[in-house]
Amino acid sequence: MKTKIPKAALVAALVAGICPVTVFAAEVRHDFWPGRDKVIPHVSGDEQFSNTYRYWKDEMSLDAAVTAGLMSHEMNYKDFRWREKSLEGEMLLGEGQELFNTANEQGQSCASCHGADGKELEGTYARMPKYNERLKRVVVGPTQIRICAEERLGRKDWGEDTRPNTLLAFYLASLSDGEIIDVDVNAPGPVKDSYERGRDLFFKRVGHFHFACASCHTPPSSGNYLRGQRPTTFFGDAAQYPIYHFPYQLAGDNLSYIFTMQHQIRSCQQLSRMYQGREGSAPMTDIETFLRASANGYPISVPVSEYNMNTDYLERSQQVSSQ
Amino acid sequence: MRVTIHETRGWIRSARVLALLLAVASGSTTWAEETGKTEWVPGEPYPTALLDRYPCHDYELPCGNMAPPIVQQVEFSGELTGDSALGEKIATNLRWGNCLSCHKLPGHPEGGTIGPSLADYSTRSLPLSYTYQRIWDVRVFNPNAHMPVYGPNRILTPEDIGHVMAYLYVPHAENRIAAKQD
Repeated sequence: MKTKIPKAALVAALVAGICPVTVFAAEVRHDFWPGRDKVIPHVSGDEQFSNTYRYWKDEMSLDAAVTAGLMSHEMNYKDFRWREKSLEGEMLLGEGQELFNTANEQGQSCASCHGADGKELEGTYARMPKYNERLKRVVVGPTQIRICAEERLGRKDWGEDTRPNTLLAFYLASLSDGEIIDVDVNAPGPVKDSYERGRDLFFKRVGHFHFACASCHTPPSSGNYLRGQRPTTFFGDAAQYPIYHFPYQLAGDNLSYIFTMQHQIRSCQQLSRMYQGREGSAPMTDIETFLRASANGYPISVPVSEYNMNTDYLERSQQVSSQ
Repeated sequence: MRVTIHETRGWIRSARVLALLLAVASGSTTWAEETGKTEWVPGEPYPTALLDRYPCHDYELPCGNMAPPIVQQVEFSGELTGDSALGEKIATNLRWGNCLSCHKLPGHPEGGTIGPSLADYSTRSLPLSYTYQRIWDVRVFNPNAHMPVYGPNRILTPEDIGHVMAYLYVPHAENRIAAKQD
């Protein structure tokens, strides 16, 4: 416990006849998972955590790691989330593209402003989240899509957690496939502030279990078995989002098994018995800013799949064991 | 078994606990009755509407500014009288104790590896009070431990923990499971 109450405040409260409990509530401090002081807004920051970065930092290292028979969790799952595109995901990109080009009753579509097939948006997703000057807030990709849809197309039902928004986010991220992520959180300003709040939220212990996001996504948990799963390290993870996530989805989802970063955070919150944030809300945006900046310097790879659909690795491991 | 709970931080904590006890004693007896929401049934999915009782990420809501649960030191005395079969159920149920997620357990080598294996717990001669404290609120031993705070956040009741301990302390648990299967 790290709760401290200044004695002067207590005395003042007692003199004023206020119950000390009230003073306590005004002096709330939170419990944090250790490690906040070690993070940097670059994918190489993983060296201070799981130290598996050397196996997945670039294609050559990844090829060498695969050949050496390393397991997926040691490559932060980049063996299939970066090297292998998802065919199922590609099929859904077409749906996103169609939405992008489809005109409303007034003849307006996303393409009216951004060019057919969104040619003018190539590379944009690598620099999201961004500060929106007009709205005076940091926005993630899905929030920008919602605002455009509301204001330009009159579509009030394309919120961050809806199917059209998710399909569009998936398609737009794919237009930045291969782009190096570059979220500037070094310059003082709202994006840096958002990053720092997001970092603190990522390490803050919350919920029924009193876990932080970092409880699972930093060592020793990442790399070990959490039931049948091995959690990832959070560095470089955002570069594959939105991601194709068959067969898992939350109850009530209608997102074609595509998980945006926002949806993934909410899914993790549900699994960990934490209060689920509203997608696109300020705190959820902060967490995404933190995760995207933690992938700075890493190339976007969309569409890929959350789980490995390719069983080649079984043959690879047999080859390694027979050598 | 007899269990007593006390807070670890002097009169400030005592004041908070007293306030809580007064609040509970003066009216309803459970959170569910206080809020009119449906209470969690262990073994069922946790109702998402109840999760704002605990600290949360959303700093725009009261739960985002809530203090962490108070560290609770507990004492255990008497005999271990729990039901080990029920303890096994609690420990392996994803929607109850969920110990299996992180630990290998007696008869359950498929458990997680984030926490140490507890498969041979009965052979370690650990005091009951130590085990009880570790399950109730592990932060007394290690503030950065991964374990959920089972007691303070009302994940498990003292009786539940008694059952889980009975399961962990049964000697030769592997044989017991094997015998049950035959």
